[in-house]
Amino acid sequence: MISNFIPGLIMIITSFLLPTIPQYFRHPAILLSVGLSALSLFNGYGTFLEWDILGLNLILYQSDSLTLPFAIIFHIAAILVIIFSWHSKNLMEHMATLAYAGSAIGALHAGDFFSLFIWWEATALTSVFIVFAGNTNAAKDAAMRYLIIQVSSGVLLLIGACLMLYQTGNHNLAVLDLKTNFGIFIFIAFGIKAAFPLLNGWLQDSYPESSVTGTVALSAFTTKLAIYALARTFPGTDSLIWIGAIMTAFPVFFAVIENDLRRVLSFSLNNQLGFMVVGIGIGTELSLNGTVAHAFVHIIYKALLFMSMGAVLHRAGTTKASELGGLYKYMPFTTIFCIIGAMSISAFPLFSGFVAKSLIMSSLGGMGMVLIYFILFFASAGVLEHSGIKIPYFAFFAHERKNKVKEAPINMLIAMGIAAFLCIAIGVFPKYLYQILPYTVDYQPYTLDHVISQLQLLVFAIIAFLFLVKFKLYPSEIRSTVLNSDWFYRKMLPGIGKPLFKKIGILTESLYKNLGLSFKQVLSKSYKFSNLSYIKVTTPSFAGTILISILFIMLVIVLV
Amino acid sequence: MKKNDLKSMGKSFTKYILIIGALLILLDFTFHRHEYFSFAEIYGFPAFFGFVSFVFIVMLGKWLRKFLMRKEDYYDQ
Repeated sequence: MISNFIPGLIMIITSFLLPTIPQYFRHPAILLSVGLSALSLFNGYGTFLEWDILGLNLILYQSDSLTLPFAIIFHIAAILVIIFSWHSKNLMEHMATLAYAGSAIGALHAGDFFSLFIWWEATALTSVFIVFAGNTNAAKDAAMRYLIIQVSSGVLLLIGACLMLYQTGNHNLAVLDLKTNFGIFIFIAFGIKAAFPLLNGWLQDSYPESSVTGTVALSAFTTKLAIYALARTFPGTDSLIWIGAIMTAFPVFFAVIENDLRRVLSFSLNNQLGFMVVGIGIGTELSLNGTVAHAFVHIIYKALLFMSMGAVLHRAGTTKASELGGLYKYMPFTTIFCIIGAMSISAFPLFSGFVAKSLIMSSLGGMGMVLIYFILFFASAGVLEHSGIKIPYFAFFAHERKNKVKEAPINMLIAMGIAAFLCIAIGVFPKYLYQILPYTVDYQPYTLDHVISQLQLLVFAIIAFLFLVKFKLYPSEIRSTVLNSDWFYRKMLPGIGKPLFKKIGILTESLYKNLGLSFKQVLSKSYKFSNLSYIKVTTPSFAGTILISILFIMLVIVLV
Repeated sequence: MKKNDLKSMGKSFTKYILIIGALLILLDFTFHRHEYFSFAEIYGFPAFFGFVSFVFIVMLGKWLRKFLMRKEDYYDQ
């Protein structure tokens, strides 16, 4: 019976039952639900559950060689998050996290666009509570913006799916291209969640506002679900190569000047997604393996880095580089785990990033794409800058610290320890990772050429850092906000919209006044609607209105 | 002594990194490093590329502050 149960659904059901479970048993129950869901990993490949409704055949549970690696890593990530948040008593966050992880796992097993849409929105609706659990005013505002963007992505997906069904009579997940209008809708829907250039603002806006433990959960699922969806529907789409290359290079500059280290990690996350998107764009067996391998190891080391910064936030109360430094004395284990995560993401040989990124780089090299190859090579130096050096350096070293802090709680250390162990184990024994990739490819990452080349790049980039610090050329930490693409809807649109609405308000008011006394009685009821206090413009509602109008206009254009 | 902890750590770290860097360059002369693109096979190319990229990223980032940096409470205003 369990074999026909949608993976992840048991986690969602457990999450709803959590309030009825006594505090003491909550965490074991959560772990048990993930364990039960993970049993589905042994089911093998095939279609296990379909549902005929409203004349449509929904494939609710299918599994193949692309689903499996993502399903494995999503379960591992869920377990890491649960251990990391074991100390927390925030019921809402536990419920949201479990349901969110369950929805993401469910989404992986959807076989058609309509079931995917349901899970797609479910991840949005559950994860917004995680951002909300940041429990500050900034977090609540960010959560509202996050919700609008995520739901819009879902709406675009739904429009795409409907158009596809209407035009082709088919709604199953299949390889699409950008020549069809539904293909474009679905592409943009995925692109929003995969944080494409200019569609990325929500990521750096919301993730750093979430709680100590929440960011770890957020970093694992949404964006990688989008990568999975892109790999399934748009492999070999040329434009993805350039989109990915831009994603690897641009966030690097923002990360240099960002002060909040969790936001630095969010820019870094964006840059890592770029590597995966390039792999999907190339579309060969080697490159798609590279994308999947990179997503797999990335979830672990990114969670590790977010966990280490979560531990710092938990103990020191901030992750602002300008306020930190010298924590290595007080949090030695967290320091070591953070450095392991930093070395993994920087792709040092013997660490997990190296064995995954090599696949993508080799497929680029093999195709002779010289420019993209060197953009990614350049971006690798950038990864070292922001995640490899900046994160550990400013949090744990930089300068001596005056106030003592305690080492992270034991559950956090265990979660970080497991993640760090996996980073090294995969780096040393890559064949176990390669075995679960979608295609059988015989690949050897540890050749002398490759190791020396990578080490030269990394070591001399570190020397460049030491040189810049020595000559005081490295930018100092400044408390600041760095503008990102969310500026368009947080400042520019309200900047245009608020005065515009005000003008319209004044105009309608004067219009009513000028209509004269004879109409006044008739108009007395509507008059009050022209009163300015009735036209209140808030940023989220305004951004929402604009977004919905854009979506509507796009729909009309397509239908016409 | 306490104040010098980080400084001495930094110094020894710098020393070791420079030694490793020098070894990596020397190693490049002992064998022919195969790359996908012939110009990348020049001695020490990845090292040079890494150093220059890093400096470029930091310097351009620093320059971008002029355009992208706002006060911490910018969005709250």
